[in-house]
Amino acid sequence: MLNFSLRLFPLVASAMAMNGVQGAIVTTEHLGIELVGERAALVPGTTAWLGLHIRHEPLWHTYWINPGDSGLPTRVSWTLPAGFKAGEIVWPAPKRFAVDGLANFGYDGDVLLPVALDIPGDATPGSTVRIAAEVRWLVCHEECIPGKANIALDLPILASGPIAASAANVPRDTSFGATRAALPQDGAWKADARLVGDNIEVQVRGADLTTGFGLDAFAEQPKIVSNAVPRVSQRNGIAVLEFAKSDYFTSAPSALDLVITRKGMRALHVHAAFAPGAPVSASP
Amino acid sequence: MKFSFLLASGIAAIAFASPGFASPTVGAPAPDFSLTDSSGKPQTLSQYKGKTVVLEWNNPGCPFVKKHYESGNIPKQQAAATSAGIVWLTINSGAEGKQGHVDGSAAGDFIARYHATPTAYLIDSDGKVGHLYGAKTTPHLFVIDAAGTVRYMGGIDSIASTDKDDLAKATQYVPQALAELKAGKVVSVPTSMPYGCGVKYGS
Repeated sequence: MLNFSLRLFPLVASAMAMNGVQGAIVTTEHLGIELVGERAALVPGTTAWLGLHIRHEPLWHTYWINPGDSGLPTRVSWTLPAGFKAGEIVWPAPKRFAVDGLANFGYDGDVLLPVALDIPGDATPGSTVRIAAEVRWLVCHEECIPGKANIALDLPILASGPIAASAANVPRDTSFGATRAALPQDGAWKADARLVGDNIEVQVRGADLTTGFGLDAFAEQPKIVSNAVPRVSQRNGIAVLEFAKSDYFTSAPSALDLVITRKGMRALHVHAAFAPGAPVSASP
Repeated sequence: MKFSFLLASGIAAIAFASPGFASPTVGAPAPDFSLTDSSGKPQTLSQYKGKTVVLEWNNPGCPFVKKHYESGNIPKQQAAATSAGIVWLTINSGAEGKQGHVDGSAAGDFIARYHATPTAYLIDSDGKVGHLYGAKTTPHLFVIDAAGTVRYMGGIDSIASTDKDDLAKATQYVPQALAELKAGKVVSVPTSMPYGCGVKYGS
């Protein structure tokens, strides 16, 4: 899910802050949401990037794929022309929200949740297509309010590129380029996980994890590790992340996916296979 | 997961020894507690020894709780359970000044509004029992068998949402666990991820 194909979309360092097209903003309780496209048109047989651009009211947040101790992830259901295919949300690294001793993972402020759209080879140049999404979320501050919006974009099909970026009112740090550049970076760090007593230990081999400064980690899969910040230590040049087991742990999955964040540095994604021999189940 | 079957032969009063979030474990004794209910009566878990007990964390203002009350899902489960001799204790750990905090009379209004039939509605404004059970969300459910052993803990059902339309497709874990216990079977889903609003504990 996180192997974003950067090759398809070379980053332009001086990318315009306003670099997409957008549908109408739906403003609801405590947030505004709109569907934005990176480009002004779609080309048959290619992949384009769309995004759910969410602007939260100050103090309010929505949730990551794993919401933490409470909450719900934002969900999308698409209505697309025949042959078009939308991917899953490619989740930016979450923030941690601590409320009354509970830990939640999500986003506040402005966020762009990118989604890849495959355009079929037989899409008709000269036509216009409607890309529509029904989005559901839970927005919380101290209280939580479920929300739903139908958002859409009408985009022309053009026979070939390059397609101009066109104006969309997306702030620079939530532009497609900036969002992609900040997505959890994949693949460079090898990790494995094991059960050690009531803890789950993840060993990560990665040069950039040595400082441990401001390091936090978020499990994509719920029910495996507790949502508190892990203890981080160094053992023979390997970063060791110790989590308490989730209260709801029943069996070790084949692997645990973690997003690791570090102050001032790009987030990482590690896929930690569970070491063989981990107890597999607990029946009552 | 640890299973302390040796300890499970009675209700062990672990009481309030551990600060912060403890959490009971399926297969281990449910910690005893003492709270005042909405009519001012003291209620303890141990007074129900010999009966199956359901604990349900509640916040009347939470949209997840509203889903399961407005649809009649929780009231229906309460009615079925209590008419079968099962004890259903609804617990509110909302701190004063926070959403969903109730006093006895507000709790009474809530029960009346939804024709709810818990055995009692317990007020836990200081969050002590919520922390003792590691209650994180509203709703959050526990099933304790007649011997005082935790047999289920987790969500109300299998589809985390605030949408009533999901109820028909969801597995309701508490009635399922109660039926399995009654039939002398192993509880097939002993834990699930609780979902809902965070419990509004005080600081």
